[in-house]
Amino acid sequence: MKKTIQRFFEALRPRFEKGGRFQRWYAFYESIETIFFAPGVPTTTTPHVRDSLDVKRYMASVVVVLLPLLVFGIYNTGYQSQLAAGKTPDLLLSFWIGFAAVIPLVIVSYLFGFGWEIVFARIRGHEISEGVFVTAMLFPLTLPPTTPLWQAAMGISFGVVIGKEIFGGTGRNFLNPALTGRAFLYFAYPVQMSGNAVWTVLSGARETAVDAFSAATPLVVAFEARTAGAVEEALAEAGFPLWKLFLGLYPDSIGASSTFLCLIGALVLMAIGVASYRIIFGDILGVVVTGYLLNLLASDASSAYMTMNPFYHLLIGGTAFGIAFMTTDPVSAPDLHPARWIYGFLIGALTVLIRVFNPAFPEGIMLAILFMNVFAPLLDHVVLKFRLRRRIANV
Amino acid sequence: MIKSLRDFITGSHAATGRRDFITMNTIRIRKGYRLNIAGAPSEELKALEPPATLAALPERVPFVKPKLSVAEGDSVNVGSLLYVDKRNPDLKFCSPAGGVVKDIQYGPRRVIEQIVIERDEVEVFETFPSVDQDALSHIDRAELVALLQDGGLWPLIRELPVRDIAGPDREPPAVIVSLDRQEPFHPSARVYLEGRLDLLRYGLAVMHRLAGEAPVIVGAYPQTADRFSGFVTHRVAGAYPADDPGSLLYRIKTSPAQNNAWFVSGQDLLLIAHLLGTGTYPTERTVVVAGSAAQDRRHFRTRLGAPLAHLAGGDWTGGSPRFIVGGVFTGYSGSPGSHLGLYETSVTVVPKGEASEFLSLFRPGWAKPTYSRLFLSRFNPGPLVHDCNRRGGRRACIACMHCADVCPVDILPQMTYKAILAEEVEEALGHGLLDCVECGLCSYVCPAKIELTEALRHAKAAYAREKGA
Repeated sequence: MKKTIQRFFEALRPRFEKGGRFQRWYAFYESIETIFFAPGVPTTTTPHVRDSLDVKRYMASVVVVLLPLLVFGIYNTGYQSQLAAGKTPDLLLSFWIGFAAVIPLVIVSYLFGFGWEIVFARIRGHEISEGVFVTAMLFPLTLPPTTPLWQAAMGISFGVVIGKEIFGGTGRNFLNPALTGRAFLYFAYPVQMSGNAVWTVLSGARETAVDAFSAATPLVVAFEARTAGAVEEALAEAGFPLWKLFLGLYPDSIGASSTFLCLIGALVLMAIGVASYRIIFGDILGVVVTGYLLNLLASDASSAYMTMNPFYHLLIGGTAFGIAFMTTDPVSAPDLHPARWIYGFLIGALTVLIRVFNPAFPEGIMLAILFMNVFAPLLDHVVLKFRLRRRIANV
Repeated sequence: MIKSLRDFITGSHAATGRRDFITMNTIRIRKGYRLNIAGAPSEELKALEPPATLAALPERVPFVKPKLSVAEGDSVNVGSLLYVDKRNPDLKFCSPAGGVVKDIQYGPRRVIEQIVIERDEVEVFETFPSVDQDALSHIDRAELVALLQDGGLWPLIRELPVRDIAGPDREPPAVIVSLDRQEPFHPSARVYLEGRLDLLRYGLAVMHRLAGEAPVIVGAYPQTADRFSGFVTHRVAGAYPADDPGSLLYRIKTSPAQNNAWFVSGQDLLLIAHLLGTGTYPTERTVVVAGSAAQDRRHFRTRLGAPLAHLAGGDWTGGSPRFIVGGVFTGYSGSPGSHLGLYETSVTVVPKGEASEFLSLFRPGWAKPTYSRLFLSRFNPGPLVHDCNRRGGRRACIACMHCADVCPVDILPQMTYKAILAEEVEEALGHGLLDCVECGLCSYVCPAKIELTEALRHAKAAYAREKGA
């Protein structure tokens, strides 16, 4: 096995190396080869020994953590589709319908994301940075399952090229590329990205399906709730009891519905040290504190949404997914530890404020993260100033 | 003001003037990293026969511009002048052997790599004036400096932050003596000080004489500090590089005036004591040979400037490993034919790591050394074999912050690195560039394989040259 693969790459290598026929696509070749064989390149300067961790493994770990969400997203898509068609959901059929709806989106996302990465790696003469594998996995998970493939292609292209490559590629971007692509679709194609109908793949007889299916998303239900102090009941009545919101068995973006799986993902990422716990706890604190402040400020004249239990904000919409996987992108977050607390807190706070006070945007986390991405360098700058003040000058 | 600072640094008892019994202060350093590396040496000491050739390595003396005083074929004695520093001809470097200058090897741009001396069977020693304990207390400081310079050992005393040879004219704010080096692998003070405490005491007295009013700080990590408690002023607890003079100074300094402290290693202090005590050039070194590919891992007593093959000899027909002179983090790689420099006391032999590993990405990594938590080796207590593979491709910084989390002197290496690339010298200095102890940990932990240490080291050296010019 090993020998065969080794021979395969050895046969191909000269064609991609300098002077070979495909030398321009060396970056592509290199990225594939290094999945199988770690390069035997020794150090040339001190320190002589190096940590075994590289960016490839770092990024691959995030993709692995995202896989359960993908599987659940596939199942849930099929499950909701059958519910909407008025059938009793069947496990295998759910997976099959979901598979048919979701996997093409994932494939398109990888094809275009990786494709752009190759093009830019070639232009720059760099190796391919593995960040794109995470971006291309995150992006489809944020989409409604009914997203047309061409729109998915547009979205990932915008995210990777405008959100990242034009600034120099992974590590030099200041916006989260997956969210940039998602925001682009949100504003460019609102019909396919918002409203109540886009979250469920219709299957079977169309007419019956449309009749049976009229569910508003939890975010809309919460926003439209009229009785102060009874938002949770309104959600439950609309078919979103607490356990359902937590497990994620309701129509939503492909991968973002399950707070439970996001929680596990966040715990794993923190345990392996890939996600900053400071950001995650900052996020949660921001959401809960702001939600609670709104509870205190609520009056008869204000909307009922303000009286919702602050923890529900973590359950509905994409908050959990955003907190676990989007805010923790280290590149678009601030670098310094104290700045990461502030960054997380403000994202949480903004998410709640956008949701509760802005009727145009039912979901706030996407915009909150992008907004704070822009402010991350400023947070770093301020924290750095304080930090450097403590140093004893040495010039 | 100086007096109160001094009290702060050494503990108030230092002011009483009793130099042998200074109160211990424990300095705890939380950052840094203990490398779980296989191939530790035993503390057994083996004396080696003197080798056929010995050498001086001008290339490995920082900042020096050597001007040769000998030519190939000249005969020299132990302690004869070999070369001086063009910047300051008073800085002299002497021959570690008596015999004939066999070979002067030049590297790229005519840098003098080695002055190789073929040793005579019976070596003749140059004689220098000796100073006994009593004379030391009333010898003129300038005279003492001249003795050390003429004896070729002044370069053993160096100055922070850039680690150039100390400027003798000014009294330093402190002299820091480090007994051990935690970097894998270096001689243990317990071995090289065995039976040599008188020399250490005398060496410390010399440092006190040179330091004038300033304190002489002796730092060691707890194990060593307990053993030599009469000498140690500061117990330094923490992972590598806690006991480096730079990181110790960073923890105890209270004002910018203290940045230019001098430092000298414990073993070098013994050489100085030998020169002044006996009037002959010292030739003895305790050297460690270690590393997973080394065949005989232990302490050796050998000569200053011994060839690597003499120390770490063996049969390397099955693929030659990398010979690192001076530790896996800060050393340089040498060939078996090259020699130990003036400062180095360690030869670490590790596998080259030129093989490509199959499906490395998918392995749980029970035996893969890492600072991160992405390998099972986090749960592996045993020492792990490290090789010289870079372990990954070069990428842009992804802000994982591992470098800042290990930096012993609280630099943010990735930010300082960006300031250096942008040629913002002021900004890099503001970040604490000169506090950098060049320990190599930031480059070690970097998953993007950015050569942070190298960039910081070059920036420091460039700044020092510009300031000196």
